[in-house]
Amino acid sequence: MKTLFVNTRYLIVPVMSIITIMGLISGGINVWAGVALFGISAIVDTATKNIHLRADFDEEGNSYGIKIFQYAVMYLMLIVFVVLQLALAWRIYQYVNNAPIDYFNAYGLTIQTGITTTNLIGATISAGLWAGIGIIYGHELSHNKKEGFFISRLIMSLSGASHFTYAHVYQHHLYLGHENDPATAPRGRNVYMHTWLSHAGQSKFSFDLEKSRAAKKGKSFFNLDNRWILGYLYSLPSIILFVWSGGFVGLAALLTLWLIANFELEALNFMGHYGLIRENGKPVEHKHSWDNDSVFTDWFFIAIGRQADHHVRGETYFWELDDVKGPNYGIGYFSLFLITLIPPLFRKYIKKHLDNWDSKFANEKEREIASQYGY
Amino acid sequence: MFNLFKKKDLKVELTPSLKQINLNSGDNLLTKALENGLKWPHKCRVGSCGTCRCKLIQGKISPEIDFENVLSQDQLKEGYILACKSTVKTDLKILVNLQEEKKAR
Repeated sequence: MKTLFVNTRYLIVPVMSIITIMGLISGGINVWAGVALFGISAIVDTATKNIHLRADFDEEGNSYGIKIFQYAVMYLMLIVFVVLQLALAWRIYQYVNNAPIDYFNAYGLTIQTGITTTNLIGATISAGLWAGIGIIYGHELSHNKKEGFFISRLIMSLSGASHFTYAHVYQHHLYLGHENDPATAPRGRNVYMHTWLSHAGQSKFSFDLEKSRAAKKGKSFFNLDNRWILGYLYSLPSIILFVWSGGFVGLAALLTLWLIANFELEALNFMGHYGLIRENGKPVEHKHSWDNDSVFTDWFFIAIGRQADHHVRGETYFWELDDVKGPNYGIGYFSLFLITLIPPLFRKYIKKHLDNWDSKFANEKEREIASQYGY
Repeated sequence: MFNLFKKKDLKVELTPSLKQINLNSGDNLLTKALENGLKWPHKCRVGSCGTCRCKLIQGKISPEIDFENVLSQDQLKEGYILACKSTVKTDLKILVNLQEEKKAR
């Protein structure tokens, strides 16, 4: 029973993603289902912010997590995210071709054909919000070998961000807390600026990595083995699909979807390490990440909020990550995300946490570096 | 039938320290070494820095990430692996300089 519970509690996103897709397919007001589910998640997350649970192990210290099941889910989520884009593209096709509003039944589901401008906006936001959540699978699989790593690249490419997979493992995990890591937001930066700077910085890292790799092999930068170029080429099917289905409208919808998805991705990076400082070359410790592990956040985001443990025990599967008493916001990602959207509110909120970090976690050198920044 | 899924008791012999780690098949090499109190050099624990590299002399591991992004082709041919991303499959013999030994030199 415990095994069943531990393994199914991480299915919130798969279930909600599928409901979002069904909303897009059924049409009408239902296309807003993804937005509604996001809102409901924010409410549940905020309401349960004080519940923090530990990772579950049996008496012998073995995890209840079933690796083959969790990996099957993560791999299948690639298909779910592809279907999500197909569903949105189908709606765009109807919109640009002025399909009449009509109804028909299929497999017990009432489907409304045709779509209004307002509902198309809702459909695009819904798809963008849930495509962005794909980061949690892209992230987990980035720490794997060939097939898992490749699936991670594909999932991220659906959001135009396949450079993330290399940059996360080979840059962020090495340089976290240091200015060499674009994914670590220094004090004073807001989430909007961070989105652009982090995205560009990580892409540049992947670019430089391939440039150096090509040079070592004596090849030109433009070669078929260039993983930076290949990563962006993986996004090509999405571009073709949306342009084919709706021309400029389709392209605008895809860019909106990517914007929302990348904003969510970088918001997670922002929240995970904002203002934390590590001297370059010094070991990564629990204190160099913020934890967000209230119960709903933990299950929804497949424990990605247990950053402190993840960055110290990077080899650990998400279902085994635990509360290690590192710096902790004490609230979930949804609640914090809403705060980050209003930079003055975030700065006010973060001040007490940074003061606490400076006094209880930072060493003298880290405090000295911190003194050069505001909040 | 369930014996198929039962984890095997295995051991990892380290040289030149002559230390030994007892673990189960499927365990992560570095995690178990650290849990046993060994000062195995390590830093990132995600297979990106190469600090935990060691030479596999005998036995079989399953890589959890592609080692070629960090180790050179020569190192791979010589049998070098990254302990932080190695799942132990059989008894192993490993060449690794633990940190205590480094300091003594």
